[in-house]
Amino acid sequence: MRSDSLLNEAVRGPSGPRKHRMLPSWVATTALLLPTYAWLTLAVLLPLLTMLVFSFMSATPMGKAPITFTLKHYRAFIDQPYLLNIGWTSLVIGFWTTLLCAIFGFLAAVALARATVGRMRETLLILILLPFWTNGLVRVFSWTMVLRENGFLDNVLHMFFADAGSISFLYSRYAIVLGLVHGYLPYMILTCYIALVTIDDAIIEAAASLGARWWTILFRILIPMATPGLISGAVLTFVPVIGSFMEPRILGGKVGVTMGTVIEDQFTQAFNWPLGAALSFTLLAVVLAIFATFSGVLRRGAAA
Amino acid sequence: MTNVKVDAVAKTYGSTKVLTDISTDFVEGSFTSLLGPSGSGKTTLLRIIAGFIKPDEGVVTIGNNDVTNVPVWGRNIGMMFQSYALFPHMTIAQNVAFGLERRGIKGAAARKEVDRALEMVRLSGFADRMPKQLSGGQQQRVALARAMVIKPSVLLLDEPLSALDRRLRQEMQVELLRIQRESGLTTIFVTHDQEEALTLSDTVAILDKGRIVQTGKPAAVYERPTTRFAAEFLGDSNFLEGKVEGGAVRLASGTVVRTASMLPANGTDVTLAVRPEKMMISAGEPGTNRLDARITTVIYAGPVLSYLLETPDGMSVKLFAQNKDGVVLKQGDTISLDWSPEHTIAVAS
Amino acid sequence: MTQIGRIYLLVVLFFLYTPIIVMMAMGFNESQLYELPFTFSFRWYEALLGNKQLLTAGMNSIIIAVITSVLATSLGTLAATALARRTFRGKSLLQLLLLPPIAIPWLITGTAMLVFFYWSGIGRGMHALLIGHVALAIPYVVLVVGTGFKTIRADLEEAAMSLGSTPVHAFFTITLPLLYPSILGAALFAFAVSLDQFVISYFLATPGYSTLPVQIYSAIRKGFTPEINAISTLLLLGSMTVILIFARFAKPGDTSDKR
Repeated sequence: MRSDSLLNEAVRGPSGPRKHRMLPSWVATTALLLPTYAWLTLAVLLPLLTMLVFSFMSATPMGKAPITFTLKHYRAFIDQPYLLNIGWTSLVIGFWTTLLCAIFGFLAAVALARATVGRMRETLLILILLPFWTNGLVRVFSWTMVLRENGFLDNVLHMFFADAGSISFLYSRYAIVLGLVHGYLPYMILTCYIALVTIDDAIIEAAASLGARWWTILFRILIPMATPGLISGAVLTFVPVIGSFMEPRILGGKVGVTMGTVIEDQFTQAFNWPLGAALSFTLLAVVLAIFATFSGVLRRGAAA
Repeated sequence: MTNVKVDAVAKTYGSTKVLTDISTDFVEGSFTSLLGPSGSGKTTLLRIIAGFIKPDEGVVTIGNNDVTNVPVWGRNIGMMFQSYALFPHMTIAQNVAFGLERRGIKGAAARKEVDRALEMVRLSGFADRMPKQLSGGQQQRVALARAMVIKPSVLLLDEPLSALDRRLRQEMQVELLRIQRESGLTTIFVTHDQEEALTLSDTVAILDKGRIVQTGKPAAVYERPTTRFAAEFLGDSNFLEGKVEGGAVRLASGTVVRTASMLPANGTDVTLAVRPEKMMISAGEPGTNRLDARITTVIYAGPVLSYLLETPDGMSVKLFAQNKDGVVLKQGDTISLDWSPEHTIAVAS
Repeated sequence: MTQIGRIYLLVVLFFLYTPIIVMMAMGFNESQLYELPFTFSFRWYEALLGNKQLLTAGMNSIIIAVITSVLATSLGTLAATALARRTFRGKSLLQLLLLPPIAIPWLITGTAMLVFFYWSGIGRGMHALLIGHVALAIPYVVLVVGTGFKTIRADLEEAAMSLGSTPVHAFFTITLPLLYPSILGAALFAFAVSLDQFVISYFLATPGYSTLPVQIYSAIRKGFTPEINAISTLLLLGSMTVILIFARFAKPGDTSDKR
């Protein structure tokens, strides 16, 4: 043991305090945050603000026509009643997509949480989520291969019933909803699954020991406890769905006219940017109202 | 002989005063415990001395240098954390060498220092292991070696033993004390464990609500607490409340209790503290204070028996007795308690 | 019950993967009109090699994704550091401000960018796409790196500082090496987000400069051949690979302090 010699040596190193001066901590904090938030301001916040201004303009400021400020674009729903129909279509599509996602997604989450373990569960979860993180456009496109006349679906049918006609339902609302469910189901499964895995097995065993049957367990324990997951899944399905435009375009064809496609048209075909901007902002208002309503649940979900 | 000095330090977070006017000296080579419940400000004080927190007011001096405005990395302190805080991606040797490297000591010279530091904490063969491969106690010894190898001006310990189990903790206490004594390093130790504070320290400072309520040698603080809080937080106490009357204290029940403490003027309300182990089951000795009480509970704790008692007027009293003859008295027995006026301390409430 | 659950999960997987597999298979089918019976052929992949437009768009997509990944990861990591390790006023507001790019439908963000970039003179094209893609990827980076931070105890940096490290040195020697898997994961994720992004790109692309998804979309609208299946297959396999690698990296805990 020579440890004492180590300890008794003269104090070395920075004998006196070094002459470092502490920068005020806000300087460093600002330096870290500034690039990101400057970028987000440039790319998201300023654009939204500009679009708000545009939505009050009488015409797209491209030609020579003088621009005045007006509220008329926000009156479009009254002036052009067909927009109400289209808005309704969007809500209906959003409703069915969300409902179907919730039912099938919740059941899949229950199956995942209660019927699988370990590696199998991990693999299944990755397989379920994998399509969600790939190109949505390509996935929508792939449904045209299945649903088109004489497509995969018809071919499978004809394998069993050679004389049957076509059951193709491409270019219908059903096709749109199907494509959207395909797109958002993985997300719903994930949010429900996250809520469900936190349920202790002991709770379900306790319920069973008290005589609860499976439906009691489902409706009295699993669904109530998974509600935060269901709600955040539903919100994060419904919101992008009512803003979707490529799914209705590709799978809906002529019947695929929704708020999303109308807005797209204003910017790419009709060049009525102020109307498009006003419709976008109306949609944004709906979206923000939904987020505000469920913010409590969503925040808790995010913390989990 | 003062190595670390804290003068009139105050810290406020929002509207909460975490520390109020703290002034205290840490004598060169001494081992001082900052003892207090959570929220008492003990950790904040340690972090101010370390330099992680800047005080709103006051001055921190380490070895005659005013370091109030010097950041942590310029203070030459050694610090141990509750979670050990070993760098998980570095070997034990790399962990210990980290501070040396910052001081420009590299290569063979650093290796020699590291070996000696590891030898000091009896972990010589572990240099090339990763922290994950070590037990909690071993990791904490590495943390100690890492803090000591840089020859700091002061060693700061932030509840370093609280994550260890009881046995390991006692071993580490002995080890820590040995190394501190050998090195003669001024050490400041934050803990909420009173026994640990009493065992290890030269000086104990008791903090309550951001103030130091009492400082002194462990025995002095224990035997002569000045406040009700100190009497209660450090060890156990019975509190007797009454009025001063002719150099003694008359309790509400009428019993007169004598004390060796200085008492205020007649008629003043006063609180007396008596340690439960200073009370005895009556031997009828003259010159003692006496109370009659009924046993409500007997707790058998091996070497010590504790009795919870109640006096006829409803006051609760605790008594610790050495277990000499096993449990003789039982619940419901009425006994007389004796204790010396020497052990009857008037405290500020 | 367990059996029923597992069978149901297989049905879900069947639903999720059937269209994708059908689409991929059709890229290997000889018939231009997607007619069956299936005749295996590399015809459409060969045609792809001659399709300058799609190849250029593909190249553009990859270049944009790489630059986006580098920029978003750098900026996002800095912001995540501040959000995870520093206390300051308005932090929750700043965290809230990360949400719009993720939560607001891309149609709204995309058209807003179009309007603003036109009005401000930034215009459309590659630089506009980059501005948009980086903004979309940053929140994901902050999220992934922020999660990484949670596995690294703050007192490791404090320990380094007590041993003489400046905060910058502590960050580079302690935090960064421990954060490395998360940062790499975030970079992969940002790459995938950019590679798959269609809506924003659609509004910001010009006739002369577009990305693969934009080209695929206009092909779908205007009439297409199985060439589109071929390129879609490649795109899908590409992003699946990136995401699978991400899934391996994002598993936190390998280097973290587990206590």
